[in-house]
Amino acid sequence: MIRARVLCQQAGRQAGGVILALLAASGLLLLAGASPVEVFRQIGLGAFGSVTRLADVLVVWGPLALVTAGLLVTFAAGLWNIGIEGQIVMGAIGVTGSLRLLQDAPLPAWAVLSVALAAGMMAGAAWAMLSGLLKTVGGVNEIFGGLGLNFIASALILWLIFGPWKRPGIGSMSGTEPFPDSLWLPALAGTRLSFWSVALGLAAVGAVALLLSRTVLGLRLKAVGRNFRAAYLLGVPAWRHLLLAFGLCGALAGVAGFVQVTAVYHRLIPSISSGYGFLGLMVALIIRCRAAWVAPVAVFFAAITIGGIQLPIALQLDSSLSGVLQGLLVLGVLFSDGLRHRAAARP
Amino acid sequence: MDITLQDIRKTFGRVIACDRVTLAVPGGTIQGLLGENGAGKSTLMKILSGFLRPDSGEIRLDGTPVIFRHPADAVRTGVGMLHQDPLDYPTLTVLENFMSGRPERFFPSRSAATRRLRELAGTFGFAIDPRACLDTLTVGERQQLEILRLLSLDVRVLILDEPTTGISAAQKAQLFETLRRLAVEGRTVLFVSHKLEEVESLCHRVAVLRSGALAGAQVPPYTTAELVALMFGRPIVFPQREPAAPGRPVLELRALSAMDDRLRLAPLDFDLRAGEVVGLAGLTGSGQRLLLRTCAGLVRPVAGTVRVNGRDLTGQVYPSCRRHGVVFVPTARLEEGLIGDMNLSEHLLLVQPPRRLFIDRPRALEAAEERIRDFAIRGSPDSLMRELSGGNQQRALLSLLAPPLALILIEEPTRGLDLESAAAVWTRLRAHCRAGAAILFLSSDLDEIRAHSDRIVVFFCGRSSPPLDPSRTDREELGRLIGGKGWDREAAG
Amino acid sequence: MARPGAWGMRLLAGLLLVGLAGCGSGPSPDVATPRTDEFVFGLLMVGPANDRGWSQAHFEAGQYVEKNVSGTRMVYVDKVNPADRPGTTPAQLANDLLDRGARLIIFNSDDMKDGALEFARAHPDIPIIHISGDNAWPKGRDFARLPNLANVMGRMEHGAAMAGFVAAMTTRTGRIGYLGPLINDETRRLAAATYLGARHAWTQVLKRDPGQLRFKVSWIGFWFNVPGVTADPTQVADGFFSSGFDVIVSGIDTTEALAEAKKFSTPDKPAWAIPYDYVNACAEAEGNCLGVPYYNWGPAYVQHVEAVRAGTWQPSFQWLDPDWSDINNPDRSAVGFQKGAALPPAAAQELDAFIGALAGGLNLWTGPLRYQDGTVFLKPGETATDTQVWYLPQLLQGMTGQSVSNQ
Repeated sequence: MIRARVLCQQAGRQAGGVILALLAASGLLLLAGASPVEVFRQIGLGAFGSVTRLADVLVVWGPLALVTAGLLVTFAAGLWNIGIEGQIVMGAIGVTGSLRLLQDAPLPAWAVLSVALAAGMMAGAAWAMLSGLLKTVGGVNEIFGGLGLNFIASALILWLIFGPWKRPGIGSMSGTEPFPDSLWLPALAGTRLSFWSVALGLAAVGAVALLLSRTVLGLRLKAVGRNFRAAYLLGVPAWRHLLLAFGLCGALAGVAGFVQVTAVYHRLIPSISSGYGFLGLMVALIIRCRAAWVAPVAVFFAAITIGGIQLPIALQLDSSLSGVLQGLLVLGVLFSDGLRHRAAARP
Repeated sequence: MDITLQDIRKTFGRVIACDRVTLAVPGGTIQGLLGENGAGKSTLMKILSGFLRPDSGEIRLDGTPVIFRHPADAVRTGVGMLHQDPLDYPTLTVLENFMSGRPERFFPSRSAATRRLRELAGTFGFAIDPRACLDTLTVGERQQLEILRLLSLDVRVLILDEPTTGISAAQKAQLFETLRRLAVEGRTVLFVSHKLEEVESLCHRVAVLRSGALAGAQVPPYTTAELVALMFGRPIVFPQREPAAPGRPVLELRALSAMDDRLRLAPLDFDLRAGEVVGLAGLTGSGQRLLLRTCAGLVRPVAGTVRVNGRDLTGQVYPSCRRHGVVFVPTARLEEGLIGDMNLSEHLLLVQPPRRLFIDRPRALEAAEERIRDFAIRGSPDSLMRELSGGNQQRALLSLLAPPLALILIEEPTRGLDLESAAAVWTRLRAHCRAGAAILFLSSDLDEIRAHSDRIVVFFCGRSSPPLDPSRTDREELGRLIGGKGWDREAAG
Repeated sequence: MARPGAWGMRLLAGLLLVGLAGCGSGPSPDVATPRTDEFVFGLLMVGPANDRGWSQAHFEAGQYVEKNVSGTRMVYVDKVNPADRPGTTPAQLANDLLDRGARLIIFNSDDMKDGALEFARAHPDIPIIHISGDNAWPKGRDFARLPNLANVMGRMEHGAAMAGFVAAMTTRTGRIGYLGPLINDETRRLAAATYLGARHAWTQVLKRDPGQLRFKVSWIGFWFNVPGVTADPTQVADGFFSSGFDVIVSGIDTTEALAEAKKFSTPDKPAWAIPYDYVNACAEAEGNCLGVPYYNWGPAYVQHVEAVRAGTWQPSFQWLDPDWSDINNPDRSAVGFQKGAALPPAAAQELDAFIGALAGGLNLWTGPLRYQDGTVFLKPGETATDTQVWYLPQLLQGMTGQSVSNQ
C-alpha cells in the first residue's frame, strides 16, 4: 500500500517535468512548421498502433532495460559509467566471436547460444572492469576512461568487421556474414520480437531492484556511492565494490550485446549498440536509481524511438526529432526536480 | 553597523529552529551567541548572512530593513559569515579561493590579489601560501583563509560560527586579537560558540539561545553557572578520568616515520598499552594527524614498524587494520565518518561483516533502537545522518564502534559538540578503555587533552615530544612546546 | 507533498487517457487503408533522400512514377541504415511502409540484401524489388527462387567507362583517383569498368603509354560517410588531390569529391571530379565537374508498378542497358551520362565518338585482360560473360588499390 502510494507520488512529481518537456517540444515543432498534435499522434500510433509495432517497441525495450538495469548498479555506486556503449560493443564482440567459433561445432543451438551469452557477459564485464581499474588504480575518472574505452571498442569492432570477420570477398562496414537461422533467438510468430529478449530484460530489472533494495551488497554499493570515504572508513571494502559495480553493469551490457546480435541483427554491425548505452543513461537519469521505474520509463523511451520512425514516413519530418523529444524529456524532468529542490531549500 | 533582528522565525518542517528571536547589536561590539547544539545559533546566523530566509521577522541594518535573497547580497551590504564547515573550493588554490566572490573585472589581477592576501595574512600572522592547493590545508587554515577573504571584501559585520574548533591555541589568540581590533575599528562581530570560556574572555555581551528561543543575555562580569543554566536548563555530569591500569602493549611504534606533501614525521618510538588514553597535541598540521592516519593504515609509512597486539601491521591498508581491531574516527563527520543520506540502521548493517545476502530489516531496526537508547541519540532509526545535530552524529558514530576493539584512533572527539554531548562521548570512550581498548586521540582543545589523557605527546613540525604526564605538566609548558619552544632541551634530555 | 503528488497523478492519468483514446479509436485512417483506386508503393533508401546521389536518384524516380502513372503514391523511408536509425532493420521499416498501404516495396541498396530476403520470405504476397541484388538471377550465385522478388540494376559499366574515358582525356598529371565505397562484386566491377574506359582513352585516343597512367582506388568502407565508422571521403579526396591526382572519379553515393575538387582547384593546377548516381550531381560545383554517369530508375519503376497493378508482375532480374539511341532520354534510358561544364570541348567530342562506338558494339571487357595479381582474366579475343563481369573477383592489372579488404 505504502509502496504503491510512494510510486504514485513519484509519478505525480515527474508528470510536471513530462508536461514541461511536451510543451517545449510542441514549441519546437510549431517553429519547424509541424503540428505537435499530429506528431505526438503519429508517434503514439507508430509505437502502439498495431501488434507488430508494439513488438518492435519491445525489441528496443529488451536491450534498453538490460542496459538501464546495469547502469542503476553503477549509479548506485556513484559512478558515471559512460563506457556503457563500449561494454555493449565488447559484449557483442564476445558473442559474435564465440558464435563464429562454435557455429560449425556439433553442439545443439541452445548450448552454443548459452556459451555465447556467457562470453558476452564476460567480455562486457571485463571491459567495464577496465574502466574500474583505470579509476581505482590509475585515478582516471570513469567518465574519461569510459569515453576512451568506447573509442577503443568501436575501433576494434570496425577492424573486426572490415578485417578478420569480413564477409568473403567483401570489404564493407555494413556488417559480418549473418548467422544461420538456427542461432537466432526465436522470434514470436509474425514479429521480430524474441521472448528471450524481454525475459532477459525483465529478469535483469528484477534482479537489480532486489539487489539494491533488499541485499546487504546493494546497501554497501549505495554507501560507497554516497560517501566513498566514509564507507571505506566504516569498513566497507570500497574499491572492491566499485569494481564489482562496474563488473555487474558490464555483464548486463554484455547481455544487451547478446540480444542485439542474436535476436535483432543476427550478425555484428558497427553500430551494434544502437546507442542504447546513452539512451539507458538518459533513462537512468530520469528515474534516479528507483529500480521500479526502469520498466515503464524504458517502454516510454523505446516507444518514442520506434514511434519516431513514422515522422519521416507520415509527415516528412526528420526522425531525429524523436531524439530531441527524448532529450527534452530528460531535461524537463531534471529541471522540474531541480526547481522542486530549490523550492524545498528556500521556502 | 548596528544590527537588529526582530521576531525572526524559521521552521524546517515541524522543527522550529528559531522562535521569534529578537536581538539588537550595536556597532563596534563583539556579541557572543551561546547555546548547545541544535539551539538555533547557526540558523539565526545563516538568516542574518542571507543563506536562509526567515519565515517571518525582519532584519534591520543601521535601522534600515533589508532583505537578503542571496549570501552575495549580504556580503555587498557588508555582512559576511564564516561557516563552521568552510564553504570553499578544495580543488582550487588558496589564491583562487581568496579571489572568489569578489566583484572583479573579467580578468582579475592575480598579482594585486596576491599582494592583498599576503598583506592581510601578515597583519594577522597567518602563514598561508597563496599558491598552495586548498585541499592540502587543514580545517584551521581554511578558516583563516575565509576570514581573510571576508575582510578583503570589506565586511562591516563579521559572523563567526564556532571559529576556534579547528585552530591552535596560538592561532586562537591571534584570532581574538584580530576580532578585538576589528571591533575597535567599529565593525560588529557576532561570535557563535558553545565554549563558555572563549565567550567570556572575548565578548562584550552574550546572548544565550535554547531550543530556538532567546533564553537570556548577560554583560560582564559573567557568571559561568548562570550561563550554563541558561544554556541547558539542567546540570551536566562530567566523566572522571580514571587512572589507567596499564595492560599489555596494544600499539608498538618503532622508528616510525611517515610523510605527506608538507610534512615529514620524525622517527617515533612509542608504546600504547591497553586501557590507556594518549592525547596528541600540537598546532594543526604538526604531525599528529599524520601519525593517527599512519597508524590506521590510511597513510603508508616511509620507515619503521607498526605493531598492534604483537602483529606487524606495517604498510597494511585500513580494511586489514580494521580486521585486527583498529578503528579510525575522523574529524569531518559528514565528509569522512558518516554517510549523510543513510540512516542509523543502515550504518549498523554496513559495519557488520556481511553474513547474509538479504537485509533483515526488523533486526536492523531493533539494533538501531537499542543504540539510540544506549547512546541517547536524538533521532529515530530512519533519521538520515545529515539531519542529526553534530553531537548526535558523533554519538551515532561512536555507537558504530563494536567491541572488541584493540585501538581507537580518533580525531577531535568533541569538536563542535556541546558540553553534554562531549561528556557523553568521553563516557563512551572510557567504556571502551575499560574493555581493554587503547585510545590515541588528537585535539586542538588543550583542556580536553589535559582532562582525558593518561599521557600527552606534543607535536611540532613533525617532531614529537616524549610522553608527558598531564598531572605534572601545566598549561603553560604545553603551550610553549606546542609553540615550538624548548624543543632543543627536550631533544638533548 | 501528498497534494501535488495526487494532482500530478490525475494529470498523468489524463494524459494517458487522451493518448489511449487517440490510439484506440478504431482503425485510424492513416494507418493505411488507402483509397481503393490508389496504388501505393514503398521505397526504402539507404541514404538521405536529398543526397545528390544514389538515394536522390531513387527518390526522384519515385516522383517520376507518381507523375507518370496516375493514381499512384509513394511512401518512403530514407536513411535506412543502422548508423542513422539505430535499432531498426530494413525489414522492420518495410513493415511500416506496408502498414501505410504499400503494395510494392523497393529496397534500394545492396546493404539491405538480407533484410529484403527476410521481408520477401515473410510476405510472399507482396512484390519486392531489390535494387542491385542478384537473388532473382537464375544464373547468379545466390539465386533464391522466391516468387515475389525481382532485381533491377542499370548497366553502369557503360557509364563508368564513360567517366573513366573523360577522366583520362582530361587529366594533366596522368593520375586518376577512384573514390570507392565498400568492396564487393558491384563496386569492383564498376571500378574496373572505369579503369577500362580510362585505359581506352589513354591508349586508343591519346595514343599514350599505358604504363604512364596511374589509376588508384581508395575505399572508404560504406556507400557514404558514416562519421567514426568509415574513412572520411573528404579526407580521402584531399589525399588524392594533394598527392598529384587531378581527377577523382567517385563511386560513392555522395558528392564530397566534387566539393573537394572545387576547393583544391587553382588556375595553374586545376582539379576535377566526376560524381556518380544522380543526374544533377554536378550542380554542387559545375566548374569542376567533368560530367556524371547516372541512373535513371524511373522507367523501370513505371514498368514494375504498372505490371503489379495489371496483375501481370513476375519476378525478374533486370540489368538494364542505356538506350543507345539517346542515353540521356529520361523516359527510355536506364543509364546516362550528363556532360559537365568543365569538360573540354575536344574531350566532349571524343566522348560522343566513344559512346557511338559502345553503341556500335565496342566491348571493353575483351581480352587480353589480367587480374590485379597477374593471373589471366580473359585470353586474347575472349569477351567476359555477364556472370564474369557481375562477380568480378579482383581489380584488374594496371589498377592500384585493394581488391578485397586485406586486413
